[in-house]
Amino acid sequence: MIRSRLVIALAAVAALLLASCGGKAGNASGPTEIAVWNGFTDASATNFAALIDRYNKDHPDVRVTQLMTSNDLVLQKVLTAVRGGSPPDIAYMYGSWAPNIAEIPTVTDLSGYVSQPGWNWDDFYPAERAAATVGDKVVGVPALVDNLAVVYNKSLFAEAGIAPPTKDWTWNDFRTAAAKLTNSKGQYGTLISGDGSEDTVWHYLPMLWGAGGDILSPDNQRAVFNSAAGVRALTTLQQMAVTDKSIYVDATNANGVNLMNSGKIGMLVTGPWDLPSFTDIEYGVQVLPAYPGSDEGHQTISGPDNWVIFNNGGERQKAALDFVKWITAAPQIQSTSAATGELPTRTSVGQDPALVAELTQKVPGTETFIENLSNVKKARPTVPQYPTISQALGQAIVSVLLGTAQPADALNTAAQAADAALAGK
Amino acid sequence: MPTESLASTGTPRPSLFQRWSDGLTGWALVGPGALLILIFGGLPVLMSLTLSFQKSDLLTADAPWVGFENYRKLATDPLFVEAIKHTLVYTALFVPGTMLVGLLVAVAMNRSLRFISVYRSAAYLTMAVSTISQGIIFMWLTDQNYGLVNAALNTVGIESQPFLSSPSQALYVIVAMTIWGWTGFAVIIYLAALQAVPVELHEAAAVDGASRLTRFRTITVPLLGPANLFLLVWLSINALQLFDEVYLTTRGGPLRATSVIVYYLWDQAFVQFNAGYAAAMAYALFVVVVIITALQFRITRKYVHNA
Repeated sequence: MIRSRLVIALAAVAALLLASCGGKAGNASGPTEIAVWNGFTDASATNFAALIDRYNKDHPDVRVTQLMTSNDLVLQKVLTAVRGGSPPDIAYMYGSWAPNIAEIPTVTDLSGYVSQPGWNWDDFYPAERAAATVGDKVVGVPALVDNLAVVYNKSLFAEAGIAPPTKDWTWNDFRTAAAKLTNSKGQYGTLISGDGSEDTVWHYLPMLWGAGGDILSPDNQRAVFNSAAGVRALTTLQQMAVTDKSIYVDATNANGVNLMNSGKIGMLVTGPWDLPSFTDIEYGVQVLPAYPGSDEGHQTISGPDNWVIFNNGGERQKAALDFVKWITAAPQIQSTSAATGELPTRTSVGQDPALVAELTQKVPGTETFIENLSNVKKARPTVPQYPTISQALGQAIVSVLLGTAQPADALNTAAQAADAALAGK
Repeated sequence: MPTESLASTGTPRPSLFQRWSDGLTGWALVGPGALLILIFGGLPVLMSLTLSFQKSDLLTADAPWVGFENYRKLATDPLFVEAIKHTLVYTALFVPGTMLVGLLVAVAMNRSLRFISVYRSAAYLTMAVSTISQGIIFMWLTDQNYGLVNAALNTVGIESQPFLSSPSQALYVIVAMTIWGWTGFAVIIYLAALQAVPVELHEAAAVDGASRLTRFRTITVPLLGPANLFLLVWLSINALQLFDEVYLTTRGGPLRATSVIVYYLWDQAFVQFNAGYAAAMAYALFVVVVIITALQFRITRKYVHNA
């Protein structure tokens, strides 16, 4: 009977489908396969692919493959994969996620490894190490480092008849210059991301630290950003946004680079990653201003990203550790920097005058960003409540920028929300 | 069922084995598809239901059972209440707006013109534009300082508006943007319905001296009932689940002015790591969607012909 044969055939198809769903691609012999999830694009992607090829050639017992993803979404994807029981072996993850990543059971605590000789852990910049450390755990190896400085348009400064920023600038000088750079032709002194995200917050933090304030108390038990220093820093932003109207508040957080590159913005506080985009203007780079009367000097903030290693069994974990150790070793950091223009993550490489000169020749201003790494004195607290604290602070900053709240009130409200989050609600 | 069709052809009642075999064939045919839907559709639905009764951050395996705690928290969370308000305002503007614009465009195109298919394709094109492109285009158009919309306003003497940068305007910009994006869809549905309106009815009414407007009001509009109902339900379900456009343009801001339910849910799950709470929110939304859809069916049924 045709019909019953059909039944059997369909049942077989269904069985095959099920079998392939539950199948495992493990094989005892052959090289150990490890997967690296990353969101590299352009020069970084080419460089990373070349590194992997080289590693695979030199290590026939390991096969490294990569999965392209978006850096913004990688946490979401990793969480899904962890729940599904098939996390990557290595993932490139933002530093601000470190405290949350630390709670994932399959994430390898590297504290026992990085202290071993060969890793040269202390050669990484202190801010990178701080951002990768959560309590007594080390959740990642620095993969990228950057910091914020003032990028300014030289011709707009000349047109407005003001001297370019100096190493001794105060935030008051910054404000004065921003006001002079603002005109009725739609030109603004500066721009800040106004979406209230971590992007808004981390532009405010160096000002807070520079004024002598901090985000949390030393024991990470309560918020202290609503101190006099916090109010002073936020008042600077308020004066520029509300009184002088010299800040373009970019609510969609999408316009900064284009507007800077088309000569509509005099100064942009940003990181080295934006420099290659400024092809149409002649720019200079200067460290962030300081607050007079504060001992904190010219602070900046670094947002180091990490290579996070997941434990997928002894053999794969060992292969992953070896690979990360290799790509973060000084020679590879050196070649990566030279190929991509990224700041070197290791002090020893950052002090290499030949490399600094080469980078600066390729992308003017890189020198200042490398020097500025020594102005990274503080790191964001690595507590799991940080996303909630950042969000509260972000809303406070935006409400002041939009003129709907006063700095002290806004910060007090945010501090209450942060305290509630720290107390566990 | 196959048995009925066999019976209706007048053949003798099939044997028990044959009926059993027929039934099995049917199941075997729908089996693989049903199984996939169950695994990828049904299972996650059940898993998120359990999740909504847990305190989970998705990071750790540790997820204590908290009963209805997440649901209780929803009722007192001012940010969730705000998100509901924004979602309802958005839905109340977006759904009728899209239907009205779609109907006007469809009526304008329901005639034989030269190049009419070009116009129809153009109207549908908004559906083919990806949400990302749409978001970027509207961000540029409505930019507070350099956007084309403000340039146009300035030429007629109106001051520049902050649009997406303003807590009081951003939601309406998103309404306009999504109406633009969905108009093509409404046009297609209405155009199909308009072409199904019998010409004889219009001719007969014209003979009786009815004006064009009267004919439209008394013949066309009632016959559009099924299309109206479909669009109302479909657009409402989509509106209540608004996310992409908000994520792309305002990230729920400025100052949470465009924080709609699904955006707030995403924020809770993947930014603040309150997955259990977010799952409870998803179930609350599910119930709201079911209630609103049921109400729409009930209320509109008596106004809909041929439905």
